[in-house]
Amino acid sequence: MAGVRRWRWLIAVASLVALLGVACGDDADTPGGEVEAEEFDEGTPMADIQAKGELTAGVKYDVPPFGFENPQSGEIEGFDVAIAQRIADKLGVELNAIEAISDNRIPFLTDGTADIIVSTMTITGDRDAEIDFSTPYYIAQGRILVSKDSDIAGMPDLEGKRVCTALGSTYEGIVTEEIPNVKARTPETYSECFELIQNGAVDAVVTDDVILTGMIIQDDSLQLVGEELTVEPYGVGLPEGSADNGMQEFVNSVVEEMLGDGTWEALFQEWVGQHTGETPEVPTMTLEEALELRPCVELC
Amino acid sequence: MGDFWEVLVRYLPDFASGFFVTCQLVAVSFLIAMGVGTLVAALRVQPLRGLKLVGGIYVEIFRNVPLLVLVIIFAAGLRRAGFDIPPFAAGTAALGLYTAAYVAESIRSGVFAVGQGQIEASLSLGFTYPQTLRRIVLPQALRTVIPPLGNLIIAMIKNSAVIGATLSLAQDLLKEARLINNKTNLTNESFFWAAVGYLLLTVTATIIVRRLETKLAIRR
Repeated sequence: MAGVRRWRWLIAVASLVALLGVACGDDADTPGGEVEAEEFDEGTPMADIQAKGELTAGVKYDVPPFGFENPQSGEIEGFDVAIAQRIADKLGVELNAIEAISDNRIPFLTDGTADIIVSTMTITGDRDAEIDFSTPYYIAQGRILVSKDSDIAGMPDLEGKRVCTALGSTYEGIVTEEIPNVKARTPETYSECFELIQNGAVDAVVTDDVILTGMIIQDDSLQLVGEELTVEPYGVGLPEGSADNGMQEFVNSVVEEMLGDGTWEALFQEWVGQHTGETPEVPTMTLEEALELRPCVELC
Repeated sequence: MGDFWEVLVRYLPDFASGFFVTCQLVAVSFLIAMGVGTLVAALRVQPLRGLKLVGGIYVEIFRNVPLLVLVIIFAAGLRRAGFDIPPFAAGTAALGLYTAAYVAESIRSGVFAVGQGQIEASLSLGFTYPQTLRRIVLPQALRTVIPPLGNLIIAMIKNSAVIGATLSLAQDLLKEARLINNKTNLTNESFFWAAVGYLLLTVTATIIVRRLETKLAIRR
């Protein structure tokens, strides 16, 4: 029966090869097409990352649509992750996306756990004293999230109410200091704020509109109210010193290329536009302008 | 070195406020733990099997569920089930009931130390079982278990930090340290002073327990 045995063997091998081919299929095509890795001088952080073979980027794991775990595939994906992926592609290395919550973003850069942070991080003067930023890659706006049957319509209505925002975010100061008689709750992550507004423990959540949109995506009994509270330019977080050793220049070049060649609009549409219905507006703010918006207060 | 003092001086009101909140958390949890713990211990030692089982189930549940899980269940789970529990109550209830399980076991061992003979004598003199427990057994049992109870209270003081860390239920000492750390990025300094605050509480508790021990305890 050698003939049958050989057939079975052939079928088994063919199936295995087909399976491997499917499993090792390429990731979702990044808009912009194939990206080529660049060469860097030895001693620069870029060359070090290339030697390591992977770029460790701190991203959010629980903030759709910027950084979150896809429930079906289990992959970490989102607008921020796509930016980090593009930087990794330009370096020709793998992307290792670790979780960076608002509270540990800066420590991760100062102690070297992460090479970059792409984690809905607003550029502020205080943060710039500890780390370096890239040019802004997204401009978010502060809004208020409430239940659809709430009678809160704006900031003045928040007086005396229970308001939630994440520890370490730029809104922590606004909520605790600018709202009279506020009962502020500041847990570690936005998913905890989401839990609190869903179970009725707080009346409102205050943070960037895109983070709030992610909550609305998951629970449409919530809505955004109020005018834009703040302008929040997001930047890629880089270790202190990146302005001098070429890392900031490199990341800026990647971001600026994406802003200019249509990639940004495509990413916006894929991750944000399809949920909010808003039209993409390529950010034009410079890092200097962003820093002027929020000059250094506590750490200078 | 200067940073350490600077953080303390600049943020003293915040540390003090957090310290005060931690004291409140510990005080309320202590009352719950002692009250419920004594009750459950009584259930465990008395003769009726049904009530004994209730006590046993309580101890098994609250000893074996991690405190953090318990706090989340009380803070979020009960709310979702419809109970409008304020955050402070949720936190202290969870910590108090958790510690009560250990208190109950401690008191139970103290009751055994008192001895079956005294219980029999008391019953034969006409006391009811609840009266026996209340007037004869528990006063002696409590005096025996003061050292282990002291340990449980110290553990509870440290465990109270979980409440502030979970869903921001209370602005306790640890929470204040985190807020200060976020403003200043002086991690070592912020948490050092929080540790000093907790140490103040635990050392005070230790001193009180030791005083009680010398005054009241029956050492065997």
